Amino acid sequence: MAKIVTLENGLWALAVLLMAGLFALLLYRANHRVYPYLSGYVLIALLQSPLLFTTYRVWGFDSRTASNIAWGIQGLVITARALAVAEICRRVLAKYRGIWALAWRMLLAIAGLVLVYAWAVSRLNWPQAVLNADRGLELAIAVAIVILFLFVKYYEIIVEPTVLYLSIGLFLFSCFSVLNNTILENWLHSYATLWNLLGTLAFIASLLLWIWAVREEQPETPLEPELIPKGAYHALVPEINYRLKALNEQLSQFWRVEANRS
Amino acid sequence: MSLSFYAFFGLVGILLLLFVWAARKSGKQERTARALEECGRGHVGHLPQIRQALAETDRLYISRKAPAFVARRVRQERRRVALVYLAAVRDDFQSLLRTARIIARLSPEVVPLHEFERVRLTVVFAWHYQMVRLQLRAGLIPILGLDGLSDLVSGLSVRMEIAMNELGERAALAAEMASSLDGRGPHVA
Repeated sequence: MAKIVTLENGLWALAVLLMAGLFALLLYRANHRVYPYLSGYVLIALLQSPLLFTTYRVWGFDSRTASNIAWGIQGLVITARALAVAEICRRVLAKYRGIWALAWRMLLAIAGLVLVYAWAVSRLNWPQAVLNADRGLELAIAVAIVILFLFVKYYEIIVEPTVLYLSIGLFLFSCFSVLNNTILENWLHSYATLWNLLGTLAFIASLLLWIWAVREEQPETPLEPELIPKGAYHALVPEINYRLKALNEQLSQFWRVEANRS
Repeated sequence: MSLSFYAFFGLVGILLLLFVWAARKSGKQERTARALEECGRGHVGHLPQIRQALAETDRLYISRKAPAFVARRVRQERRRVALVYLAAVRDDFQSLLRTARIIARLSPEVVPLHEFERVRLTVVFAWHYQMVRLQLRAGLIPILGLDGLSDLVSGLSVRMEIAMNELGERAALAAEMASSLDGRGPHVA
């Protein structure tokens, strides 16, 4: 156990160092102007460590006040991460105005549904309510990133490598947090030390990805594509859909007739 | 272990698979401009030759005149041709889909109903296509029924060709602009 605690302290120090490095890199490459919410998230996450340290030092590990402050800070960190994800979604899709109008509504609606689902399948006792809320938010973030990439895949949108690496880091960390919180919910006491250790390891992996992503200066605003007149969509897309539907019906009919015949 | 334990692990597993599938590179973007150019002159243009190759009268004539092994060989070839043709019709379907996606992508306004409808149609088509293909492979389906499919695709293709020429130029220009976003080369998902 002592070895784990020592290792955890070492990893924690490494994570703080990497976070400071990432924040410095964001400022140095002027990428904080491109990703203000991501920079805000890194700054809050960076401040989380000294704040927690001070809290536990003043109120002690077992005090209710320290626990409330710690979870409050954690809530702030996750909210900042959610905003960073929203910023990434906006950077990828906002230049395609029609798709973006559809995507942000879908993202919000599905993220909301995921939150409700996460609450519904959780144990609804108060001590674990904060843990459940934390997991619900992490799950909503992961789902939002997946939906973003489904949109990207479906509409064949080009994603900058920076955005890709940032998204992978955010996605993996959120997934890991969901799994970690789920295990913690089942084996709360015996798993706590390992929970911290694995969480720090996942965070370090994400930090390395983000550092790699922002190692170069990014263009402040991506090039806007030349949009087609509004009427073109209304003229052509219903026609294509109609034909696709007719083609489907034909195929379906053909299949049914032949299936009956055979 | 509770229900939530399995539910969350399952959900994360599905999310991981979906993310890997959605984020992996594919050559679609490079094909976008080509797809627009080709829209309107797809594989269905070869329908008369395919019809000739698959004509029932030919089959009857061969089964009467040629030895059994030749007739069998011809039947196998006809089935192979039908399968290739079915795949080509699917390509045409996908080309139309891609065209619709590009139009939606470059449009300042989209109708969610149309977009969801197209996703539904894609899933249904994929299902029916696989069913027909399996039956063709098993030798359960005569190949004549494919005519109707091709007519539908070709009908639309011809009517859209003129409109697509203009949009194709715009889309190709947009794709070029997007590709030059990053000097290290774009990631295409």
